[in-house]
Amino acid sequence: MAATESAAPAESELDRGGAEDEPRGAEPEEDAGTGQAGPIAAAQQHRLAKLPLSRIKSLMKADPDVSLASQESVFIIAKATELFVEMIAKDALVYAQQGKRKTLQRKDLDNAIEAIDEFAFLEGTLD
Amino acid sequence: MAERPEDLNLPNAVITRIIKEASTCPLREARRAISQAASVFVLYATSCANNFAMKAKRKTLNAGDVMSAMEEMEFERFLQPLREALEAYKKGQKGKKEASEQKRKDKEKKSSSTDENDKSRDEEEDEHMDDEQEGENEGE
Repeated sequence: MAATESAAPAESELDRGGAEDEPRGAEPEEDAGTGQAGPIAAAQQHRLAKLPLSRIKSLMKADPDVSLASQESVFIIAKATELFVEMIAKDALVYAQQGKRKTLQRKDLDNAIEAIDEFAFLEGTLD
Repeated sequence: MAERPEDLNLPNAVITRIIKEASTCPLREARRAISQAASVFVLYATSCANNFAMKAKRKTLNAGDVMSAMEEMEFERFLQPLREALEAYKKGQKGKKEASEQKRKDKEKKSSSTDENDKSRDEEEDEHMDDEQEGENEGE
């Protein structure tokens, strides 16, 4: 808990909601933001980011140089990661289509990483 | 950068859903690789953002540091959607805080009240129909 500064009730709610592996695909709404109060608002807060904030926070804490991270920064990184996954999936799709395939294969990913400058940081990091 | 935390992979189901919505069905190997890439992205972004925080002599990473990191990592295309998402998030947080503060105030009111003068107060709190209120009514 020491890694974040935030209002205590909001923080614990985020952790409770974000800790499971259960597929969030089961939830029909995304970014619904209707402003309801109570536990429903808490659930909708999670839908603003598809990835669990608690897992993102744990990853951030793995860096020994990081001491504290604001709740907002954890959220932004979660959101950025979501955008990153979308981006790399789209770029890999181009290569799959070139190979006349409808499914993504590992090699499509490798091609995308090699071809696109923004993905240079991934080289040599994947199994 | 930090060590690779195999245990800290992001949930497969969520990753798969994001991939499917943006692209197409990933084979297991491709999904695993994208999931790993996502973890690496988090670590890299965190490290970058932390550099900005340290430059500003702050110990706490904030949203601005992450935005600067995105620019540094050449993901400027993310900046606009991230700003919008942050606004929505802040609004949601504000609503939550106000809701929980209201709840706290209501609890304090209830715990300090024991006499009949509470009848008028109870009428104002008609959204909070719970056992405590009924208990007080019985005592009249």
